[in-house]
Amino acid sequence: MSIVPKETIEVIAQSIGINNLSPDVTLALAPDVEYRLREIMQEAIKCMRHSKRTTLTADDVDSALSLRNVEPIYGFASGDPLRFKRAVGHKDLFYIDDKDVEFKDVIEAPLPKAPLETAVVAHWLAIEGVQPAIPENAPAEALVAPLENRRSEHKEDAFPADIKLPVKHVLSKELQLYFDKIAELTVSKSDSVLFKEALVSLATDSGLHPLVPYFTYFIADEVTRSLNDFQLLFALMRVVRSLLQNPHIHIEPYLHQMMPSVVTCLVAKRLGNRFTDNHWELRNFTAKLVASICKRFGHVYHNLQPRLTRTLLHAFLDPTRSLTQHYGAIQGLAALGPNVVRLLILPNLEPYLQLLEPEMLLEKQKNEMKRHEAWRVYGALLCAAGQCMYDRLKLFPGSLTPRTSAIFRTNAKVVTKMPNKRKASMDHLQQVPLKKVATDGPVGMMPTISMPTGKQGGIDGFPHPSGESGVGPSSSGQVLNESISGISGRRDEDDGEAQKMSAILSQAWKEDMDAGYLLASLFELFGESMLAFTPMPEMSFFL
Amino acid sequence: MEEEEMEKAVIAYLKKKGFKQTELALQEEQSKSSATTSQTGPEGAKKSLSFSESENGPAQYHEGYSKLRSWTYSSLDLYKHELLRVLYPVFIHCFMDLVAKGHTQEARTFFNSFREDHEMMHLRDLQKLEGVLSPLHLEEMDFAYSLRQSKINIKMCQYSYELLLQYLQKTQSITMLGIINEHINFQVSPGQPISISDDADVVTLVGSSQDTAKKINQKEIRWGLLEDSLEDRLEKSGGLMSDSEKADGESKEGDLEENKKRSVDGGKQGASVKKLKKDKVVGATGKTIRSETNTVSMAPRVKPELTLPVLPTEVEHSVLEDLRNRVQLGSLALPSVSFYTFINTHNGLNCSSISHDGSLVAGGFSDSSLKVWDMSKIGQQTDTSTVQGENESIPSENLLGTEDGKKSYTLYQGHAGPVYSAAFSPLGDFLLSSSADSTIRLWSTQLNANLVCYKGHNYPVWDVQFSPVGHYFASSSHDRTARIWSMDRIQPLRIMAGHLSDVDCVQWHVNCNYIATGSSDKTVRLWDVQSGECVRIFIGHRSMILSLAMSPDGRYMASGDEDGMIMMWDLSSGRCVTPLMGHTSCVWTLGFSCEGSLLASGSADCTVKLWDVTASTKAPKTEENKAGNTNRLRSLKTLPTKLTPVYTLRFSRRNLLFAAGVLSKSV
Repeated sequence: MSIVPKETIEVIAQSIGINNLSPDVTLALAPDVEYRLREIMQEAIKCMRHSKRTTLTADDVDSALSLRNVEPIYGFASGDPLRFKRAVGHKDLFYIDDKDVEFKDVIEAPLPKAPLETAVVAHWLAIEGVQPAIPENAPAEALVAPLENRRSEHKEDAFPADIKLPVKHVLSKELQLYFDKIAELTVSKSDSVLFKEALVSLATDSGLHPLVPYFTYFIADEVTRSLNDFQLLFALMRVVRSLLQNPHIHIEPYLHQMMPSVVTCLVAKRLGNRFTDNHWELRNFTAKLVASICKRFGHVYHNLQPRLTRTLLHAFLDPTRSLTQHYGAIQGLAALGPNVVRLLILPNLEPYLQLLEPEMLLEKQKNEMKRHEAWRVYGALLCAAGQCMYDRLKLFPGSLTPRTSAIFRTNAKVVTKMPNKRKASMDHLQQVPLKKVATDGPVGMMPTISMPTGKQGGIDGFPHPSGESGVGPSSSGQVLNESISGISGRRDEDDGEAQKMSAILSQAWKEDMDAGYLLASLFELFGESMLAFTPMPEMSFFL
Repeated sequence: MEEEEMEKAVIAYLKKKGFKQTELALQEEQSKSSATTSQTGPEGAKKSLSFSESENGPAQYHEGYSKLRSWTYSSLDLYKHELLRVLYPVFIHCFMDLVAKGHTQEARTFFNSFREDHEMMHLRDLQKLEGVLSPLHLEEMDFAYSLRQSKINIKMCQYSYELLLQYLQKTQSITMLGIINEHINFQVSPGQPISISDDADVVTLVGSSQDTAKKINQKEIRWGLLEDSLEDRLEKSGGLMSDSEKADGESKEGDLEENKKRSVDGGKQGASVKKLKKDKVVGATGKTIRSETNTVSMAPRVKPELTLPVLPTEVEHSVLEDLRNRVQLGSLALPSVSFYTFINTHNGLNCSSISHDGSLVAGGFSDSSLKVWDMSKIGQQTDTSTVQGENESIPSENLLGTEDGKKSYTLYQGHAGPVYSAAFSPLGDFLLSSSADSTIRLWSTQLNANLVCYKGHNYPVWDVQFSPVGHYFASSSHDRTARIWSMDRIQPLRIMAGHLSDVDCVQWHVNCNYIATGSSDKTVRLWDVQSGECVRIFIGHRSMILSLAMSPDGRYMASGDEDGMIMMWDLSSGRCVTPLMGHTSCVWTLGFSCEGSLLASGSADCTVKLWDVTASTKAPKTEENKAGNTNRLRSLKTLPTKLTPVYTLRFSRRNLLFAAGVLSKSV
């Protein structure tokens, strides 16, 4: 009936020397003992509250006892909360581990350090309602409510409503499970169907925002840790892309954490540790990712693109870097658009190609791997330059019209010559993906804004150039013809001419009109493969 | 017949006592039993006697209650919540009856089998009652005693009431009927059942009968501000200095009539304040910018009942300067918060206090010591005081008992028990501390010495607070009293007795005519300082009250409790304006901003929360009758600290918020 069993009363009675306690007395005492215990605890809780604590200590019980004029129980006072241990074999029986202490040990022990003096430190918890991000304050909320939401909250103020305050660092069980699952899939089963499903889920689900910091951390962590694991890196980049695609995620605040790992995947010296790892593909993928990030957040972080291009350019222009890094840099720059290519790659194209050339030749570079890499870089450069030229041509169709026939003619020639050429020098360079990129080019560029305006400009400017530049095109056509005729020996261009070419290239961005010159000079450098980039639909349209 | 006579006597008794239902039931019973007796004679009478005897058996309680319970739960949804309210009082009285009759075992099983039903609403009461195991305990324990002595009011609509009566009569559960008649006072209202949200006051069981509470709350309250306060002067003079000679010396007697008149006006003015507030928005009133946005200026003025101390001119100057430089706060202009963190306290800090200008911080420790830090002297933190620029009261003398550079604080020793509360005087020149040794000590922050030891309480003094003008102070204690003192007397001036449990916190009204006390009996009381009478009882909290704050316009009061609930009270009506839910643990401290637009609360859940007071106090007015308590005060901002429960907070005169707490180690 009472939570204090009568046996306990008997034991206590015996301990104070009463051996013959009648059962009636124990029965009567037991409930009273319980009542007194509860009373003491109630008082102790009051003392605890007035000491502004939420944990009951032995001191509180002592004060409660002294309130009742009972002598306190000595020997339990402790500055810290008592450390209870669970008794083995009992679910809810606890005890304090109180070890015997040797006097000798105590006496011989060195004096303990004096406890630190109590002190007060001041800091700003908030300045005009905003908490400054200083170490003294609790870490900032993981979830920053989007601006629109905050606005709407203010509007709702008219009628009293419970405003849901962001709860920091509280992840629901479901989200935790979700995160763990995704992480597991990314790390171990990135080629499974399930992972594809997961990517779709990451790109579309709406409630994932709280996980973003965890994902960014996860990605950054994994990328730095496992640069050798190509599969994992690719999977991580896919996760990044999915996160970027998700319209419900407010990713800007975490972008700065994510960018380094993405850029790493673009320009790292080695990605993956096996020959079979197609790290080129990963670099291409990442380049597109970077470009999409720049396009989406470039207006929010105005220094995002400059910083990125600076990094990439450094990688590109540093001859000590490996060719793989150059490749990544070129791809990244190319993905940022033809203007970037025109401004940053084309002026450096000529010297770079000179540097690259020995690497590509069978005689000079014996290492198969190195040669392959060089050809890869060459392909990437070709592709970038070609796209740039393509863009120029599109922008200024006027300069193209009189020449189309010539190009077409040459084109016919090229088509016939192509197979041999490929066999001769480009056996490692996969033409197919290049072509694909080339055909992708117009499709990708069509929807962008520059296209319609460019077209309009072209149409507006149509009558003038067509009348005026009658000479120019013809001359450029001549250059073309010339170059076509001299295709075979093109690589052994003499220095003087090469210098002129580089001058033309570096001037290209100034003289917007000289698409023809550009084409020509590019042609000088790349040979007829450049012609793959002349816009076919355009040409047929103009014919 | 003898039996008939006895029955008559019983009926007469019941009539006298007003137990109508019992009477009815008895009559019914009687008619039945008389029918049976007419047939079977004395044997039947015997049977009914034995029947009634068995009814008193412990099983009857259990059975009766469980039947009533299942009937209530299966009743119509519309009336269910009203009927459910009956269950709790019946439950606890059943239990106490069982205990009183000595059926301890049965009482315990009864209690445990139905305990869960009421845990959500009445956990703390149940915990208290759980320990009651013998009739003696019932007498001894105040809570149980007062429960048994008083009646509980339950509001009900006509139909629910009839349903209940019908049920009780039909099933002949005399035990239940008896309990209900004895301990419940039904307030039957015609029409629709009352909405669920309305029952906040119904479910709280208070020791004293609610009738007296209601009667007390009828009394008039002059909640207005003091006449001729500094703020008034600021407005009148438009920032210029006014003469310091005040009418303070006027005799109170002479003002008595005027006072009364004023108080009546006060009530009326209260109603018109809202209107005035609207006007204020338009900007029709007030010459200075400050007065336009200041709710304080709208409050009616009253005369002080106490002789108030006169401020020195230079202090007045600096206060006026502060008032002129005050930052206007509102829902869109949140305050800056300067936080003082105590480190290395080794679990010893019990309380802390911050002076008005934030330059001094006091901490009371469980090792009986009181330490004062001068924040303006602590190297890095100089900015807080220089930026503040408020009236500095730096003890210019070399600190006693401290070696410069070694200790950053001044140690005050004198108490013989844990220090539970500390309070700075409004000017920062004195410090009061209260302790478990049942004394209050007055310290001078200029001399760094103990000046007076006030002995009067018999038990630990939980809280002590200076009046807004200084000189007077109030204390509250475990001995269930609150006392008013003045600095120059060692005996208390008034003793406020009436709380049924410890008085845990005390707070002065802005006009110094009242003090509010919060107690472990879950009520807040307002006391007239002059007469020592209780003028308001605020019922609604579900656990012990830990903190109180008065709005600067003197109209509202906020109280925070152990569960994290904060309630806003309207002093004039004695009603709860809004409960504020948000904190998850003890609310240690509350504070209104100086113009009364914000309420700050600090809690053991390591947050400082800012609440919009203007929204909360206006909104419910408009739909008071409809929505009742569903309105909530708007929480403006939650400022989490780094593992630091907030012990105290205070708005400076310039509306900078100071808060202090102890860095607790993460476990």
